[in-house]
Parts: sequence; structure tokens; C-alpha cells
Amino acid sequence: MTDLTGGRATRDPYEPELVPFQEGGSRTAQDESVAETGTTTVGLATRDGVVVGTDRRASLAGRFVSNKNVVKVEQVHPTAVLTLVGSVGGAQSFVRSLRAEASLTEKRRGDPLSIDALATLSGNFARGGPFFAINPILGGVDEAGSHVYSIDPAGGVMADDYTVTGSGMQLAHGTLEGEYDPDSSLEEAETLTARAVRAASERDTGSGNGLVLATVTGDGVDIEEYDDATAVL
Amino acid sequence: MQDNQQQAYDRGITIFSPDGRLYQVEYAREAVERGSASVGVRTAEGVVLAANRQTRSPLIERESIEKIHAVDDHVGVASAGHVADARKLIDVARQQAQVEQLRYDKPVGVETLTKEITDHVQQYTQTGGARPFGVALLVGGIEDGQPRLFETDPSGTPYEWQAVAVGGGSDEIRSYLEAEYRPETDLGGGVTLALDALGQVEDGLDAESVEVATVDAESEQFCPLPPEEVATHLEETDIGGDET
Repeated sequence: MTDLTGGRATRDPYEPELVPFQEGGSRTAQDESVAETGTTTVGLATRDGVVVGTDRRASLAGRFVSNKNVVKVEQVHPTAVLTLVGSVGGAQSFVRSLRAEASLTEKRRGDPLSIDALATLSGNFARGGPFFAINPILGGVDEAGSHVYSIDPAGGVMADDYTVTGSGMQLAHGTLEGEYDPDSSLEEAETLTARAVRAASERDTGSGNGLVLATVTGDGVDIEEYDDATAVL
Repeated sequence: MQDNQQQAYDRGITIFSPDGRLYQVEYAREAVERGSASVGVRTAEGVVLAANRQTRSPLIERESIEKIHAVDDHVGVASAGHVADARKLIDVARQQAQVEQLRYDKPVGVETLTKEITDHVQQYTQTGGARPFGVALLVGGIEDGQPRLFETDPSGTPYEWQAVAVGGGSDEIRSYLEAEYRPETDLGGGVTLALDALGQVEDGLDAESVEVATVDAESEQFCPLPPEEVATHLEETDIGGDET
């Protein structure tokens, strides 16, 4: 009753407003019993929208496949998705926090957050929070166009036309390099994304078991699952 | 002596009068009555919230007078009384809705949310140095596919309604609703009834001054009605857009 600001004025911007991080809650993801999404996640920005693709494998330290149909891309905003990369628990909790905070802000202001604001929020949480090592891609569309960001575990936020994170990133980049075209159609971008995820799935032990494709346009988000990435080629 | 004691009950929010009343809470109810009315109607297809914006001057931007607010995708709130107090409660509701989502990954129930609000309001009737919230809210939304409509009052009591009004003239509007309410009506009929009900106490309702929002049971989405649609509904009402 004595805090007349409601805490809002002095609230730490690196923390979620709803459920602040616990003191001493930070842990490291060295434990081999923690499920990781070894993972290849790819994000491409085109004129018509954003395509985000991921494999579907969860593994223990990249040596045992603990799940073969994980959906590693989730909607966090009316027109944005985030990939789950790193420890599954950390990534899921990160998605829930981001979705709740973005939704709260949208209800207060009447409009969804812009994607660059959402990226900054993601970076702040990644920097301040106990989310293990996570390295998601944020892809979204707003009035300013299509955006892809990689969020690194220390809270680094980098915008790009296309980006890849996860253990299969070099392999997927090999496919994308020289092939990416900002003027390509959404269908062409989906095909290129599928090729990149497939290349990584073939050679990276942390990636595999099919493909999940998220397509984001100004109208919203569509997420499709495929047992085999060749279905999109 | 008698006078002094009377004054003390009057001033202390946490002190009961000898006949068991909390005067500050009753005064807060008066503050609600001084506000312009808000109406809620529950239909088989969803919930309707309607409110009249009182404008003190033609120079004021009408959109800046907000009486109906989105709380979550599937819940809206209409207020009557102190707007500033309403805003604080609405933010409590918005936060609780997202906390529920964060904690259980489920949309908050309308009843759960209403009780979160009223528990917060109740604290302000039992805490020294506080004053109660001078506002009543109508909380409308969809829960498990069913439309629900609740009222919160300054004492912190939740009530569930089929159709209800809060604020200035609410007694008259409630009588009108009691006579005219049909539970089987559709959402459009609910909007018309809500506007008709508001028209019982407000002369010359027009599409610009009335704020209407619906929460549809099928889409489960809170949706403010654009002024053109409000105008269409106003034409269907008995009060009508055209003054006779």
C-alpha cells in the first residue's frame, strides 16, 4: 500500500514486469540430463513476409534423441514468432514470458508492439534472465516491413535479412549463402528455408526428424509441420 | 459527543458505524452514481458492453474519454465512476490475465478475473489510510465457450448478471432491462437492447458519443464496434438517431 508508483517507475527494464526473475536463479546448461534443442532454426525476411523454419529434434547433449516431433517455433505476438534454441526449459519459459509481456503491453496501448520493440524486449530478458543458454530467432512483420533478428544468450540483438541459429548453423548457412533473395516470393523463401534445414538435418547430429515452417505476414502467423523437409522442396 | 463519533465513522474507512455500515464504502457508491452509465448485456452469442461518454466541451477529443477497455483477447471491461480509479483496476486485471496465461498457459476465466479484481478492491475497504475505489466495473467475456457478465462494486463484491447497468440512472436502466431482456436474443439484439437501455437516461445518443464493444462467443475476441456500426444499431433502437 505504500508503493504509490505501483513499482512501475522504478521497475527494472531488463526484467519481465509480471513475474520478476528470482535472485540466484541463474543456472548453466552443462547438465547432460537437460533436454536441448541441438537445433537448426532459420529465419528469412522477404518483401511479403517472414519465413522461419526449424527441425523437430530434441536431444540430450546432442547424443541421444529425446523427442522427434518438437515444434520449435512459437507465436509470441499477433505477427511474430520466436524459435526455441538451447535448453528446452529455458526456451519455453522465455517464450511464455515474452508472449505475456507483449500481450500486456498490447492491451494497455491498444496496438501490438512493433517488431523492433519486441526484439529489444527479448534482448533485455535474455540478458537479465535465468533462461540457460538460449539463442532464438525472432521473425515478425509490422508497418515498417519484415524483420528477422537473432537474439544471443547474452542479450545481443542483431537484425538481418536472414539468419540461422543452433548447432546446425554452419550447414544451413552454406545453403543460404548466395541463394537468399529479398525479392523472392513467400513460396520461394519457404523452399529455401526447407533446403537449409534439410542440409543441416543430414549432417548435424543435433538436428533432424523433419521440418516446421512458420510463415508470418501482416495478417498473422501460420505454422505447419512436416515429417520430411522434402515435402516443401 | 454523539456528533464526534458520527464524524469518526464517517472518516475512518476501517471503522464500522454502530449500525454496521461502512460510510466510506457507501460514499464510494455515490461516486459511481455520479458517473455516466455503462450497460452490459449477456446474450446466447456473446456479451455486449455499452457506455456513454460525457464530454465537457466540443474541443475535447472524444477518443480520449475511455470507458470500455480490452483486458485480454477474450475479456473487456466497462466502467462507471472515477475513470482514474478504473484505470488502476483495469491494469490489475490486465496483469492478472497475463499472469494466469504465464502460470497455466490458459486464458483466464471471467469469474476468476472478476474475483481477482474484487479481492483487490476489498483490500481498500479494510486497510488503514486507504480510500475505496470510487468505481464500478462490468466485466464481460467468454469462459469455456460461454458468455459471462460480472459486476464489481466499491465494497469488493462480485455479482453475475444477465443484463445490468452501473453509474448514473442505473436503477431506471435496470428496470428497463428487467422488462425487456430476452436471454435467447442474438449479439446484434444485445447491442440494440444495450443502446435502448442507455437511451432511457441519456438524451440524444449519437454514434460518436456512445462506446460499444462485444465479446463474441464463437471467436472469443473482444471487439470495439466502429462508429458506423453503432450508428446502424442506433437506427434500430426505439430512441433512434433521428430526434422526433
